[in-house]
Amino acid sequence: MRIRACHLYPDVLNLYGDRGNLLVFCRRAQWRGIEVDVDQILLGDWGDFNRYDFIFIGGGSDSRRTLVLKNLEKITPFIVDAVEKGAVLLAVGLGFQVLGRYIKAEDGTVIPGAGVFDAYTEAGSDRSVGDILLEATADLQDELKKAGNIDITTLIGFENHSGRTYLGEQGKALGRVIKGKGNNGKDGTEGAHYKNAFGTFLHGPVLAKNPHFADLLLVKALSPQEEISLAPLDDSLEILAHNTMKKRLI
Amino acid sequence: MNKNSINKGLRFWLAFYAGRLTAFLCRLFRLSGTSLPGAVALRICPQLLFYLAPAYEKVIAVTGTNGKTTTTNLISYFLRQAGVPVIGNGEGANMINGVVTALIKDCNLFGAAQSRTAVLEVDEGSVGKILPAVKPDLIVVTNYFRDQLDRYSELDQIITLLRKTIDRLPETELLLNADDPLAVAVGRGRTTVQYYGVEGERDRKGSEENEIRESSFCPDCGELLTYDYYHYSQLGDYRCTNCSFKRPEADFLALDVDNSDLLRFSLYVQNKNSGEQELKNGSIDLYSQLWGFYNVYNILAASAASLIIGIPKHIIEASLPDYSTATGRLEQFIYQGRPCTLALIKNPIGVNEVMKTILPHEGKKAFLIAINDLAGDGKDVSWLWDADYEKLDQPMISKVVCSGRRAAEMAVRLKYAGLTTSKFVLEPGCRESLDVLGLQKVDQYYILASYTSLFNYAKLLRKMGKAVAKNADQGLPSLS
Repeated sequence: MRIRACHLYPDVLNLYGDRGNLLVFCRRAQWRGIEVDVDQILLGDWGDFNRYDFIFIGGGSDSRRTLVLKNLEKITPFIVDAVEKGAVLLAVGLGFQVLGRYIKAEDGTVIPGAGVFDAYTEAGSDRSVGDILLEATADLQDELKKAGNIDITTLIGFENHSGRTYLGEQGKALGRVIKGKGNNGKDGTEGAHYKNAFGTFLHGPVLAKNPHFADLLLVKALSPQEEISLAPLDDSLEILAHNTMKKRLI
Repeated sequence: MNKNSINKGLRFWLAFYAGRLTAFLCRLFRLSGTSLPGAVALRICPQLLFYLAPAYEKVIAVTGTNGKTTTTNLISYFLRQAGVPVIGNGEGANMINGVVTALIKDCNLFGAAQSRTAVLEVDEGSVGKILPAVKPDLIVVTNYFRDQLDRYSELDQIITLLRKTIDRLPETELLLNADDPLAVAVGRGRTTVQYYGVEGERDRKGSEENEIRESSFCPDCGELLTYDYYHYSQLGDYRCTNCSFKRPEADFLALDVDNSDLLRFSLYVQNKNSGEQELKNGSIDLYSQLWGFYNVYNILAASAASLIIGIPKHIIEASLPDYSTATGRLEQFIYQGRPCTLALIKNPIGVNEVMKTILPHEGKKAFLIAINDLAGDGKDVSWLWDADYEKLDQPMISKVVCSGRRAAEMAVRLKYAGLTTSKFVLEPGCRESLDVLGLQKVDQYYILASYTSLFNYAKLLRKMGKAVAKNADQGLPSLS
């Protein structure tokens, strides 16, 4: 079995250990005998997104926002198309914000985003920084349960973002904030979830801190429609790390 | 107004004596007291630094991400060797409380400074508070890497802060790292700038792909920078593909770097306005006990700063070989009869450079990696995933003990770095983890510790083993 993955803009969006997400994804696949090919799509590159089972885009400094949006514009329709067809996408931090409908900058200008998620972002003055704990939405809990054999319903990470992100009418969150700020610090939502696309502010990297979430992405990348099951791994270390932090945060 | 005749007023004296009293109490109760006296005094008189600083004829400030403590300590060391009375926050408390504490301690009971020169390490987030008060004659900028992401979310903000601060200090000279486009960005548009740099070496060219390349964009036009070679991270020989921005010519250049054993290089001085006349277009040969390629930059920056303020070159040349390191700067101990090296780790670039330095050492090795997540360490430990821990996956490393508040997450990182789980042990406690390390029958021990656990390990190693360095500065290294 083979999964084709791509890392979008690793040359500019490379903050907060987010590249670790791909490492975790690849290792957990390899440990089950599944090979993963990873293409890097750099700023200005064009990619054939229908080729990919898994697309990853990470976080970066806000000063790169305009640069990323300018380049993203050209490939947006292809990413949207891939997601519609069931490709798995994980977007973290700034990567999540630019895949929303738009970003309203400090000076009021509105810059359109890729529109993968029904969400929009408004520039905020203070940053949301700290450990964050979520309870996955009921839908996501269902999917997590079906996909893997790790019995965890929470997600843990470290958030560090300044924009306020709001979900639109069609927008579904990834989870409900138990501890931390989440999308905007007001409505208790965190992240966005559409088909097999997941957006979040959880760094850490999110897949390292949440092996059950990593397995869900892996299952979806292997088979977007049908339900399949993965061989169980010894995740005692990952679970210990997750639960240690959870205990500290509750 | 004469520099020394500022009317200090009652508030100053209240603050000054409150600080002195706090320092006395800290000593009495054996607390480290490198920041608390300053904190107390500043509560009473927030302007205190403006009153204390003018007593010094020369002030040198060192800022940047990595290398501040070593560079600051080295400059002080060269000055002392030249017989210049010097005060500094060499104990590494590099925010305003620490600077004020150092200056209060330098005064006699009547508030008169004992030293003529102050060499200050300044936290990159504190430059706006400290520099306008101390009005440095010279500011040294080491480099800018991502560090403590929770505290300094954006490198651009840190650089902008320093630029805005020095806009109000037109007299101040700058000494910048020519090899770092981010440090060079600090001096854009200023005339009193000198640069130091390291001449390229084929060995380090095209170093590993895995390394994080920090912001390789032009500070002038935002275009991509291209590199002829990299030393490490974004340090190297670069130029803009769009405009005329490129690595400036170094006034102080390190040539023929040899770091196969101890460090050795030639310092070539090209600038006509600085240093001694005899050095014009000449070079001096430097030898140091310090390890690691990154220390070339620290020695180079400190030597250049010392030359600029008039320290004779022969003092630098003669005294450098005797200089040994401060706590956590690859400090040497003997523990369980085996050599044990203690290193501070605080960001991915630092980890990578420390590993590059120690991994070529011969013999079987055991590691202890201690990761805390308190304010001093950085609360966000995601940086563990940006460092190349994959390098620890080699047969000569037989054990890695993970400790600290984030021991489990460190262990997870190692698991995904490819180490078999039988190779690492989870032991969050400081004493306990050291016990486990001591059981390993290897040739060398290495302890990599984040800031808040570093000092505990140093203390325990002094008690349970012994320190090797003769004239080590035993103070705490800087927070950032």
